[in-house]
Amino acid sequence: MAEQGTTRFEQVVLPHLDDAYTLACYLLRDKHDAQDAVQESVLRALRYFDGFRGEDARAWLLTIVRNYCYTWKKGSRVDRSTVAFADTGEVEDSHAADDLVMQASESERVKAAVDALPAELREVIVLRELSEMSYREISEVVGVPIGTVMSRLSRARNRLAAALDVDSRKAG
Amino acid sequence: MTCAECIDSLGPYLDGELLREEAAVIAEHLETCADCAAAHRRLVATSSQLKNGLTRYQAPDVLKARIRAALAQPEVESKVQYAQVTRFNWRRTITAAAVVAVVSSAVTLSVVGRKPLGETVQSELLSSHIRSLMPDHLTDVASNDQHNVKPWFNGRVDISPTVPRLDSLGFPLIGGRIDYIDGRSVPVIVYTRRQHVINVYSWPATTKNAAPHTASSHGYNFIQILRDGEELWIVSDLNRNELEQFARLFVGTR
Repeated sequence: MAEQGTTRFEQVVLPHLDDAYTLACYLLRDKHDAQDAVQESVLRALRYFDGFRGEDARAWLLTIVRNYCYTWKKGSRVDRSTVAFADTGEVEDSHAADDLVMQASESERVKAAVDALPAELREVIVLRELSEMSYREISEVVGVPIGTVMSRLSRARNRLAAALDVDSRKAG
Repeated sequence: MTCAECIDSLGPYLDGELLREEAAVIAEHLETCADCAAAHRRLVATSSQLKNGLTRYQAPDVLKARIRAALAQPEVESKVQYAQVTRFNWRRTITAAAVVAVVSSAVTLSVVGRKPLGETVQSELLSSHIRSLMPDHLTDVASNDQHNVKPWFNGRVDISPTVPRLDSLGFPLIGGRIDYIDGRSVPVIVYTRRQHVINVYSWPATTKNAAPHTASSHGYNFIQILRDGEELWIVSDLNRNELEQFARLFVGTR
């Protein structure tokens, strides 16, 4: 690849590394795996860069990161994870989990609640609340219609409100 | 507007995804309906709790260093494929390569004699350094605590490497690994400086003490130090001045 091409790639893609790393951290729940996933994804993005039409680089990169994380967990690395990744069932809200959530500090409490979500709900929360993406962008990254993004976000927030015991009277 | 319709729209309303007219209808309903207003407050509270409580992680410098190094390689594309193909059994591949190298160098030796040792080692170190920047190969033991890193090598290699702590001097320790250089397992201690990775290799010296030797190749700097029966090689894309500073600190804290 010509040097100019790589430079343009760096300008377009590298500003979004924090978003990419954040998504990978929440999907893989392991910082070292997340680093490897982001590095592989960036190299992959470079390979596909000719196909990038220059619309939304962040959504484009995060799509690659997300797909990489899903493939990763399906592959040989599953055994390293202590928590099942494709837990699309109910939140594991046993008493033990509740106790843990109660003991932790506020931030740890929130993180534990998000970590307990199934991946499909966790990722929309991260993309919306942390990366502040629009529904259209989230729909592009996750590869589902906007209506599905909306309903997943709603389900995720309802579960989190329940897990975090949010009291509407205190809300301002 | 019914309450059910309102509840369904609270998320998009909060997220600014509604048209202005649609949002106005919701706002009006919320003023007159206590139940929906409570649901809205609950949603707002949940969302702000998430925004405040969740960490937006910053890509660490070492990740940026690895990406930068990988992108700087000529023919990145082939390296990408290389990395993918070899991800699963680096160990076996390297061992096999080392065996081949030993066998072939023995053969070469008998025919034409051997290449200068330093040169061979230096090119192996360069390959090792670049390889270390590939995903999943920088560290076998990832820790910023020398009391975790040093004991990890016990029984894995035949020397106990020096692992000084240089965080306060601007060179944080990030871990260690084992590599195969010149046909044997050697300990590698890994530090960083800003977005640069520094690999420190060591093995028993075959020659006596000598002045440090510096070299550079393909944009990487090498410092070779022979000292007290130990040979150290420090490899990085860090600039030479700072790498020499690192070398002095590393040796000085032994």
